[in-house]
Amino acid sequence: MYNNQIKISLKINGQENTVHAPPDISALALIRDILKLKGSKEGCGIGECGACTILVDGKSVNACIMLAAQLDGREVLTVEGLNNGEKLSIEQNAFLENHAVQCGFCSSGLLMSTHALLSENPNPDQNDIRKAISGNLCRCTGYHHIVKAVGEAAKQSAGDENNE
Amino acid sequence: MNKTIEYIRPADINEAVNFLDLNGNNTVTIAGGTDVMIDLRSGEISPEYLLDISRLPDIHGIGMKDGLLHIGAGSTINIIARSQDVYRFAPSLTKATETFAVPQIRNMATIGGNVAHCSPCGDTVPSLLVHEAYAVVHSISGVKHIPVSDIASGPYLTNIKKNELISSFVLKPVTDSQFSNFEKIGRRKALAISRMNMAVILSKSNNGTVDFIRFALGAATPVSKRIEEIENFLIGQKPVEKILWQAGKKLADIMVAISGRRPSTIYKEKAVQGLFLRLLHPVINCK
Ligand code: FES
Ligand code: FES
Repeated sequence: MYNNQIKISLKINGQENTVHAPPDISALALIRDILKLKGSKEGCGIGECGACTILVDGKSVNACIMLAAQLDGREVLTVEGLNNGEKLSIEQNAFLENHAVQCGFCSSGLLMSTHALLSENPNPDQNDIRKAISGNLCRCTGYHHIVKAVGEAAKQSAGDENNE
Repeated sequence: MNKTIEYIRPADINEAVNFLDLNGNNTVTIAGGTDVMIDLRSGEISPEYLLDISRLPDIHGIGMKDGLLHIGAGSTINIIARSQDVYRFAPSLTKATETFAVPQIRNMATIGGNVAHCSPCGDTVPSLLVHEAYAVVHSISGVKHIPVSDIASGPYLTNIKKNELISSFVLKPVTDSQFSNFEKIGRRKALAISRMNMAVILSKSNNGTVDFIRFALGAATPVSKRIEEIENFLIGQKPVEKILWQAGKKLADIMVAISGRRPSTIYKEKAVQGLFLRLLHPVINCK
């Protein structure tokens, strides 16, 4: 056990936050165990499954292999930040409607990869979608419904923008 | 027993190398950090200090200077994959970084980490080799240049000392008349720890023969390296399909001579030959 702590200040899901944490814990441990945001999951813990995907300054990363200290001064988005209160985000809705969720363990990571994709490329084709979620493993769905859901989410958010 | 680990974030590269000079042996340096967290948790490493260099301004930025392409060692794989300068002056590196692992890893891993780690399958290394790249290496004694070809002394063994830090890589750019390419074979398409990778720069003279070539092979051998026998074999030849197959066969023999025969050799011999043809096939018809 390590007895020293470091100070980490970050903006998470729009909220400024300062925490004290051991210097050697992962970003995922900080998010789940200290900030008590349990949406991000730990599947493999070695950067292979994507269940822990979060966005740091808008870029998708695996929180399980990132040091918590690396989040200091950064802007972090987790699955909890996608929706406002009780309302589902476009991505979440599309996953639900298209049966892209079975056990749900992979879903928060996939939603974050989807969010990262759509903020960079509002009109992704099949190939873009498959590439964007290539770092997220799902052992239930066979991906077909997920790819469809991401495509629907893209259409939906493009539609929303046109309406604004 | 209480053991402490300290996290340090130096303000500039001088502060970093000063720290490394005093504590290099008990320090693990973090740039992208993709391996550090895994090794900490598995107990593989238990350093006293974590030196986070990821925010040092000195290790960022990509651009041409004095006719050479400079790439900050702290550039993430994703930044390199999207760099217009890299695409124009080192397109094989664009291809290597675009197909590197998965988006999440591309956003974290750095080229400095990929090289310094000396994994035989570092996907950026063959491209750096064909661009005759050198690393700009800092220590308290000053700055020196080490050719990328001299950095790995074996699988996961580096010649970069514990008190040294790579700030950037400097590449000779390709010219408009040169063809350049990268190919690899990975296990799963996405996660793709390469089993084999290769890069080439080549140009042809007016009569269609090869008048310039640099070729490097990685992952199939303990360290990635230029294969001069192949370069010498192709120079002066018309790169038609038959010649490329012959060169590929030669390459397979060289690989076996370097790595020895193993159960996987039967597969790898064919694979290296096929991959070589895929790498160079476009030059058959190009000017
Ligand atoms: S838990 Fe992070 S990638 Fe699997
Ligand atoms: S829904 Fe179960 S792992 Fe994807």
